Amino acid sequence: MIVAGEGLQPAEFAATATRAVVACAGQEMRAQARNLAGDGLLGIIADEEVGGLALPLGFAVPVIAAAHSGLLGFPLLETLFAGRLLQQSLPHLATAIVSGETLVSIAWQGEAVAEREGEAVVLSGWVARAPCADKVDYLLARIGEGAAALVRIDAEGVVVEDAAGLDLTVPEHAVRLQRVRIPIDSILPANTWDMLSSDANVLRAAAILGSAEACLSLAQEHASTRRQFGHALSYNQAIRHALARQKLGLESIRHAITRSLSEGSGSVQRDAAFLAAATYGSSISEGALQIHGGMGFTWDIPVHRHLRRIRTLQAQGDASGLISAFGRRYVSEIAPFTEAGA
Amino acid sequence: MSVVEAVSMQAVVVENLTGEAYRGAMRRWLQGNLPASFRSDSAAFASPTLQQSIAWESAMYRAGLTGITWPQAYGGHGRSLREHLIANQEIGALAMPESVNSIGKELAGPIILAVGTEEQKQRFLPAILDMRNIWCQGFSEPEAGSDLAGLRTRATRDGDAWRITGQKIWTSGAYRAQRCLVLARTGPLEDRHRGLAMFAVPLDAKGVRVRTIKSIDGRESFCEVFFDEVEVAQTDAIGAPDEGWAAAIRVLEIERATNRMYRAWRFENELRHLISACKADAALSQMVDDHHYAVRLGEVAVEIEVLKAHVETAVEALVNGDKIGARGSLAKLYWSESHQRFAALALELLQQAMLPQLAAIKVARRRFEAIYLQARAETIYAGTTEIQLGIIADRILQLSRGK
Repeated sequence: MIVAGEGLQPAEFAATATRAVVACAGQEMRAQARNLAGDGLLGIIADEEVGGLALPLGFAVPVIAAAHSGLLGFPLLETLFAGRLLQQSLPHLATAIVSGETLVSIAWQGEAVAEREGEAVVLSGWVARAPCADKVDYLLARIGEGAAALVRIDAEGVVVEDAAGLDLTVPEHAVRLQRVRIPIDSILPANTWDMLSSDANVLRAAAILGSAEACLSLAQEHASTRRQFGHALSYNQAIRHALARQKLGLESIRHAITRSLSEGSGSVQRDAAFLAAATYGSSISEGALQIHGGMGFTWDIPVHRHLRRIRTLQAQGDASGLISAFGRRYVSEIAPFTEAGA
Repeated sequence: MSVVEAVSMQAVVVENLTGEAYRGAMRRWLQGNLPASFRSDSAAFASPTLQQSIAWESAMYRAGLTGITWPQAYGGHGRSLREHLIANQEIGALAMPESVNSIGKELAGPIILAVGTEEQKQRFLPAILDMRNIWCQGFSEPEAGSDLAGLRTRATRDGDAWRITGQKIWTSGAYRAQRCLVLARTGPLEDRHRGLAMFAVPLDAKGVRVRTIKSIDGRESFCEVFFDEVEVAQTDAIGAPDEGWAAAIRVLEIERATNRMYRAWRFENELRHLISACKADAALSQMVDDHHYAVRLGEVAVEIEVLKAHVETAVEALVNGDKIGARGSLAKLYWSESHQRFAALALELLQQAMLPQLAAIKVARRRFEAIYLQARAETIYAGTTEIQLGIIADRILQLSRGK
């Protein structure tokens, strides 16, 4: 278990997370939550008042990377953020989340319509890309003006659709909200979502880093042991260079994450870290599959599980929309050329 | 302000400045002194003459912008690598010409600092910084390009001196240099990387002949250098005779990881210039806001951010006492390939400008057509892309070559 104290380093969390992921294997979600909470991993970035460690986001990076490297079947990223988001307005619930008693997910896609009715708010619409929504107690969904609403998953009018999408390990669900009444204190203020998205991009990059690292390790192992034409695959320059490019992509993700957490960095660096991870993570996992040949296309080799997760994380962060917005933002900030301005 | 006026500027007082105050002082000096004719994003740009470049770089040195980390005993400013990075970020932010003595400042100098004698440090290093001595690098040969260990230029003992005979090629700037950092063989060719020695050869020595080679951008900046029984004093041998390969590797690692540390910030300057030029043109201003080009420009911007991350991570590693080693190949591979993609995109955009072309487009075309052509060399010099991939596979991933 990790206990807050002076001199704690982010890397120390990786080993704890790796052990916890192994301990969670084969367990149902509530047991996993208790395991992870027992190791102090659900409250890394939450305040001490709700049982957290109150550490900066950078401490969650190695934990998320280790969780994804080990294919943890638990919505850890969502749990970490939910604990922190709710610590001010709903501290009892945040405490229950950090202690693993209450399970929560976040719907990363879509926006519900919220209407005030007396002392309650009524939610309607569709939200989606909610990992493990069929097994959690609460769901956090986006509403207008970048605010967010917390919904009990068993509330009247909440319909969780069957899992769809690529991810097998942390399956995503769409959720229909049919005039779901929630108390007013379940609404988180405007701009919550922008801050959440920016921080989530860093941890998504960390998740992709973990998966990509596992893929490269598997590909490297296969290339060193699989023999064809009388040699190990790694004897061939084409294979060596392909793996070298994967390594370049992996280190690019790692450095971009480090930079996104450095002093003075903001949303540009966080978005860049996620976009770099989405690009290189996909090519690393697809490249690892290719190096495995026919074996890579089998169910048993875990490369496809990582590839599925990376592609899912890419969609949860809306990499396609974000890269366009990133370019437009860059363009919009630059004035037309004038000689005086040169 | 004329070049002459600019270079008469006095050094800025930065002794007590750190962090953002140091950055501010560097920025103000550069912005206040860089002549418009040196700025390739200006209509007034005119490629500087050698004398103008020497004067400008001397002024930069006096202002504290070069020799930043070198010891004060050898003319340096004795500051940290973090401050070197800060100064380079500010240098990169402006569209100024490349140094005519980057080989001296970023390759020969560091290697002399590492393995040179005290006398060599006193003799060579201040002369590099104040631009009395321009250096070039004599490594590649007609039969030893990527396979550097196959070089044939021979160094033989002649009493207290050495005699060097052979031919170097792709020697950038040899025609304007006073010294060449030559890698030569003291043993048989079969010894490969053993028995290689390094020399600081004066290019006005008897038996040295330099011939320029016209490159694809129409310039004649790189050269062939012929050595015919050139006498080189023992005092110009850099490091021990059998340490040449180790010294060469160290030079190349430095070259790949830290030289022109401003690159990412210069690429950002280029991207901003490209976008500003496009926004001055009615057709291109719409294009850069369209989804297709917004995505592609966004990809360039992300790659610049990642490149900054590579550089800053390397600086922090070095500050913390790590060696660069093979990791320099990661940064070199990244910047060279991403810059080529960017240069091709810039060319593609500017080729779609309206007619008649605006002055802004003419300025940008002149700059980016040159960059496009020059960038083709970036995946070749300092070790080709294929060599970098091989180094990453061999030394970082340590992939087995066994049967």
